Amino acid sequence: MEYALLQAVFLPLLLAPVAYIIGRKAGPNAATWFTFGLLLYCTFLIISVALEGNYAERYPWTHLFGEFGFLLDGLAIPFAVIIYVLSTVLALYSKPYMIHKFKEMYEEHVHGHAAGSHGMQTALVESGEMSRYVNNQSGVYFALFLAFAMGMLGTVLATNLIEFYIFFEIMLIPGFFLVAFWGDGPRRRISLMFLFWTHVGAVILLLGFLTIGLSVGSFDFAAIQESRIPQDVVMFAAVAIIIGLAVKMAAFMFHIWLPYVHGAAPTPISALLSPAMIGIGAYGVFRLIIEFLPNVYSDFAIWLHIWGLCTMIYGGAMALMQDDVKRLLAYSSVSQMGYLLFGIGSNSLLGFTGAEFMYVTHGLGKALLFMTAGILIVQCGTKSMAKLGGLGGKMPITAVCAVIGALTIAGVPPTSGFMGEWTLFAGALDTAIKENAATGSILRYVTFGLGLVATVITLSYMLWMLKRVFFGKLPEHLSHVREASWYMTAPMMVIAGFTIVVGIYPDIFFEQIIPYMKGVLGA
Amino acid sequence: MVESGVLGFTIEAGAINAWLVWILPFVAALIVPAVGRVSHRATGWVAVGFALASALSAATMFSGALEAREIHDQVNWISTIGIKAGVLADPLAVIMANVVGWISFLIMVYSTGYMKGDKDIVRFWFWMMFFVGSMQLIVLSDNLLMMFFGWEGVGLASYALIGFWYRDKKKDYVGVHGRTVLGLADYYSPTHSGMKAFIMTKVGDIMMLAGMFLIFSFAGTFGFRELLHDTAWASAMQAQGLLVPAAVLLFGGAIGKSAQFPLNEWLLEAMTGPTAVSALIHAATMVKAGVFLVARLGPLFFALGAAGFMVDQFFEVVAWVGAITALLLATQGMVNPEIKKVLAYSTGSQIGYMMMALGVAGLSHQFVDGYTAGFFHLTSHAMFKASLFMAAGSLLHTVGSRFMTDMGGLRKHMKKTYVFMWIAGLGLMGAPFITTGFWSKDAIFAAAFESGSTWGLPLFGIAVLTAVITTFYTTRMIGMVFFGDKSKHVEHMEKEGHHIHEASLSMWVPYGILAVLTIGIGVIGLGTEQGIHELFTEYLASTFHIESEHEVVKTDAGESVFALEGVNPVALMASLAAFGIGISLGYVFYIGRFVDPARFVNSNIFFYAIHKVILNRWYLNAMVYWCFVVAPLWLARGIWRYFERTAIDLGMSTGVEKAVGWGAKVVQGTQTGVAQSYLYVFGAGILFVVLFLFI
Repeated sequence: MEYALLQAVFLPLLLAPVAYIIGRKAGPNAATWFTFGLLLYCTFLIISVALEGNYAERYPWTHLFGEFGFLLDGLAIPFAVIIYVLSTVLALYSKPYMIHKFKEMYEEHVHGHAAGSHGMQTALVESGEMSRYVNNQSGVYFALFLAFAMGMLGTVLATNLIEFYIFFEIMLIPGFFLVAFWGDGPRRRISLMFLFWTHVGAVILLLGFLTIGLSVGSFDFAAIQESRIPQDVVMFAAVAIIIGLAVKMAAFMFHIWLPYVHGAAPTPISALLSPAMIGIGAYGVFRLIIEFLPNVYSDFAIWLHIWGLCTMIYGGAMALMQDDVKRLLAYSSVSQMGYLLFGIGSNSLLGFTGAEFMYVTHGLGKALLFMTAGILIVQCGTKSMAKLGGLGGKMPITAVCAVIGALTIAGVPPTSGFMGEWTLFAGALDTAIKENAATGSILRYVTFGLGLVATVITLSYMLWMLKRVFFGKLPEHLSHVREASWYMTAPMMVIAGFTIVVGIYPDIFFEQIIPYMKGVLGA
Repeated sequence: MVESGVLGFTIEAGAINAWLVWILPFVAALIVPAVGRVSHRATGWVAVGFALASALSAATMFSGALEAREIHDQVNWISTIGIKAGVLADPLAVIMANVVGWISFLIMVYSTGYMKGDKDIVRFWFWMMFFVGSMQLIVLSDNLLMMFFGWEGVGLASYALIGFWYRDKKKDYVGVHGRTVLGLADYYSPTHSGMKAFIMTKVGDIMMLAGMFLIFSFAGTFGFRELLHDTAWASAMQAQGLLVPAAVLLFGGAIGKSAQFPLNEWLLEAMTGPTAVSALIHAATMVKAGVFLVARLGPLFFALGAAGFMVDQFFEVVAWVGAITALLLATQGMVNPEIKKVLAYSTGSQIGYMMMALGVAGLSHQFVDGYTAGFFHLTSHAMFKASLFMAAGSLLHTVGSRFMTDMGGLRKHMKKTYVFMWIAGLGLMGAPFITTGFWSKDAIFAAAFESGSTWGLPLFGIAVLTAVITTFYTTRMIGMVFFGDKSKHVEHMEKEGHHIHEASLSMWVPYGILAVLTIGIGVIGLGTEQGIHELFTEYLASTFHIESEHEVVKTDAGESVFALEGVNPVALMASLAAFGIGISLGYVFYIGRFVDPARFVNSNIFFYAIHKVILNRWYLNAMVYWCFVVAPLWLARGIWRYFERTAIDLGMSTGVEKAVGWGAKVVQGTQTGVAQSYLYVFGAGILFVVLFLFI
């Protein structure tokens, strides 16, 4: 299929203004379905191309930067598929959540102005004004949503350092506005925090890119050869790239922006930010460090491994301390990114495979859980676990999906989480044994053992969250709560089914990932 | 061979049954929610029907197993890593599958009565069928990875069913309200207990995973048969000193799942689940999964030992963990006032026996003796303990209280339950010559006594002591429930118009059947044991090449040789003595009630102290909570307050913001708007550039 990837990446951007106009003129319903249909089409494009194996498109660009290309190979396929599948189902999910949010903001708005006049307007006028407000807002929302999705996809398909950087920044800008417009709490402040942290990370990343590009003489991925870059320069470039991407991944010490942003972002966006966006950092490490700079990587591997371990345990421990569901999930994301880093540092076939598979399972599991949090906000009006409880009987579908999501994150079979986790840890142990022929690497044995302990922490905070939200006594004020609408539960059921299918038959993704990883390791 | 064209793999004709045994319950689990939308009543019939079908498919494999044939059938699963899924129905698996299948069926029938009218019945059936499927998956899978699916599946079902009554009503709690041990409440809600069970077994599971991965790294396979056929992996592991650690780590999974010391504490709180669940999962089947795992892997490691590998330490660990658990939990069973908890302590303790037998087997030259003993005890225990639990469920149902002190004098009102509980109880005590429990326990004593290892005698001693205690607490339980005067609670109930009555037909029939079986198989018990012994001798010889040193004499001499070969006189005497002492003590205190136990305990400080330690669960539970719940949370809170909120949040985020703001103010200070000062700076700049360019 010609132009398939070009379409998949740029159609959402080009049609974003159309989504805005549709939202303005025809209301949120039409905008939702337009966005959904468009993304569904693009998802089908990606999947149909991915079924044929590796696939690339190249277009001429400027002389200075090189070619503008899209590459869908074993590494990019799982990322691309998850990004668009999640974007597609979340477009549907957005509708009830965002309408709830718009109305809430409208109330605030009206009360802000009409505080003195006691709100004596007639219902008719108010509802007319309100629907106009909702239409406007939903137009803007879905336009930004489309731009955000295409930014993420472009990053994982890019074949050029500058192209990568551009998409990397493109996904940041809609994200910034989405948080700034419809976030909770001090949203402007938090969105600025998001912008600054990730932007500074991106600039450090750019420094690394420029170093490599200028010393190689081209920015095309295909032209990068480690041997052509001077030893000290390549070290500097690698450190810059790793730090830049680690900020995106919210690795330990660079993680502070994440709980704020994921906690405050409108929930469908949290559900995209958290599983889909931050994991792109891991994609970058795979592509830029492991694939292109393997010698530098093997020097860094053990440090990435330990850094990952710290992130896993630290994120898990902080998640235990949270009362706000969304902040708990955000810290859980930090911890899960630790798993990815842990696998990236394992320097083994199964470890790499597991790390990439963890992106898939984290995407599915965390999306489910954030969607649960969104339902809690819409139906119960709170995300504080102290005020929740006993909802299992009130909203059975949500509860079942949340349990499946939690089990995915905790790595319990038959969910996909287990497939990611066992390959990850088997790989880590394999390296520990083989790194030193006589005794094995003691350090790696220790990190492996502590990594397994981190999975117990993960299970603990997940089960504790389920207990506090869905089990126990139902508080008085929640006795009227009902199950969420189909717009919200149907996407969850799709994702929940998907995680179980992938968990039982992981070859869907392994078939793509493993040949690529074998190629990278030269095995 | 039947060619199955669609999926492109071949299935042996007999193998279909082996697949069906575990697939059918999963199918039922998927159907149940759909059926539940139409009719709640029908879900029960679906579950019972599928449980029966699954048990029947297990039964069809029986004849093949008796001839020590095995069915091994594989399909591609994760082909990219070269992992296959498969079923392995050897005699061990087939016997286990039948035990699991038929006991599940009976408990399903019981549940139709026990859970009648519960409005969450659909969820109950879903998880019960999910459990049966997962359990059969453990039993029949041919590799560790697939087994782990079942392993976590039963854990998940256990979590869901322990917390089945998720609304945490006070009546569903276990423990005594207001009682504290080391400052922590000994009183747990169902959802808390489910969580505790899942997390504690997960600790065992990560050990098992580590062991699995170690073996996988060297062998490149998870398959039980593949590991057996090519043992190059074992020499490589031995060279790095990893063979015994890997085996012990795998055993860690068994410790968690079978509630062995030190991961034993979750089983007691697991009693918050419905009693049918306790009977099925926490007595008859799931907690046996650990024993089954050891029975699966034991011969492999023993065969390695026979081939010159050093694996004795593994069997020592197994034997001692079993022995410690047996004694530790039995002592606690003597003092607990809650009937289900007494049974739970008893379950853990009896599983300890099985572990001990399997461990002893590996230490002796007669592997098959201990192996048979352990496995025979597994089957007989599954029968009588399931029966006891179901009977206890009837009592709870009738009396509405979990405390034995709230029962008393019930033998006139619940005659059938009374009789069956005695029979099954006698099985647990190991009443001589007529119960399966006697023969299986005797076999364990004999195996420990004859093992010839240095640990043989101490282990034998612990086993006998535990047997005395077991008999005592069983007698105590029956005495407290059925003898003496009616408790205030029962009198109060009768005054309010409740009629204390026998349980319904669907409830007492299942536990009746199992109780009768305990005696029925017990009367021919020695023969049964001999049968299993011979079967396993052949199985171990043909599959693992473990030859028995002295073949069981099957021929001419008849009865006399039978008795001499099969029964060890010392073990027999010890078994009889243990039974006699235990039951007399129990009679004195609880049936005849000649001595008041409370008075006896309080008579001197020594007894009082022992009683207190035992009642406080040897302080183990409290220590687990302090070390692994309270302390880590305290630590996490410290990090949260003094690192995350201050160093990182204030320092790195707000700190940078403040610094930038302050920097901006400094720079702002230079924006004076005075043209002269700008000119000075401008001039200085020019000067600097000029100097820079020329120097």
